[in-house]
Amino acid sequence: MPARNSQKTSSRAREFGIGILDELPLQIGVFPFGLVFGIAGLAAGLTPLQVCALSCILFGGASQIVFAQMVGAGAPFAVVTGSVAAINLRHLLYGVAIVDYLRHLPLSWRIVLGYLLTDEAWAISMRRFRSQPASPVMHYHLLGAGLTLWVCWQVSTLAGVLLGATIPDELQLGFAVPLTFIALIVPAIKRRAESLAALSAGAAALLLQDLPFNLWLIASALIGIGVGIMTSRFDQPEQDR
Amino acid sequence: MIWAAIIMSGLATFLMRFLPLSLLAGWQMPASWRRALNFVPASILAAIIAPAVLMPEGSLMLADNLRLPAAIVAAAIALRFGSVLATLLGGLGFIWLFGLL
Repeated sequence: MPARNSQKTSSRAREFGIGILDELPLQIGVFPFGLVFGIAGLAAGLTPLQVCALSCILFGGASQIVFAQMVGAGAPFAVVTGSVAAINLRHLLYGVAIVDYLRHLPLSWRIVLGYLLTDEAWAISMRRFRSQPASPVMHYHLLGAGLTLWVCWQVSTLAGVLLGATIPDELQLGFAVPLTFIALIVPAIKRRAESLAALSAGAAALLLQDLPFNLWLIASALIGIGVGIMTSRFDQPEQDR
Repeated sequence: MIWAAIIMSGLATFLMRFLPLSLLAGWQMPASWRRALNFVPASILAAIIAPAVLMPEGSLMLADNLRLPAAIVAAAIALRFGSVLATLLGGLGFIWLFGLL
């Protein structure tokens, strides 16, 4: 059935394209972050090849910065790996939250989408999945968003390695990271319990910075989730999703 | 040795991204879990934002810290317009305008 096939192909391409378009504005924050990592990696004593390999193999901005900082400080490699794992523990929660929408996919798809599951791609595709009726091609949105971020991350890392220390500190490129997350989260907070969850997670993150192995991130997130659950009873029932 | 750390870190990270998609594929989540997971984005992103804005050099900086007003401006733009593009341009524009002048 050529007609039906082409229809299905076009809805895949459409979903893929929307994923790219949704993810593109976020690259204003991702690109400087990649530059910062490229510079920080070299400053920590990694070779250009190691810096680029981290962006391909690890593909997680915050944890790559931690990796570079700890290697630069001479930490034992087991401690470095443990810290990276602790920073990235949050992806378990992302996976649990998104598996509902991906469970029907074959293994190869879940491997690719798992590899591409970053903060920004996950957040933007979850928004799409929740706001649209379920469709058999919706995972193309995550593929489009994930690949957009992947390409931008590799290019910006390489640019950081090549430009290196010629980028002045005054540009505050590191500020692009929290800015990206502000752009993602502020419009998504709809209920009082969600704002209380965010406030308590943020406060916990400030207080728990000294936890060993960078466990502050996952610990703060769990505190926020706990506060959200405990306070959600005060929300109006009609606001509940 | 550094390559071993890169590969181990990458493997650990991939497994944490992939295992829920693999192990939980046949599992029906209880409704109470689903409600709890609604708080994941707000909690994790806020935990990344707070230290990055308030502790730019590793300790709490409430005064003489341009990131704080810039973040407030960005949050206001995000709240009012819901636009990623406007939020990023507003926040970066603010910090460049007042940081470089």
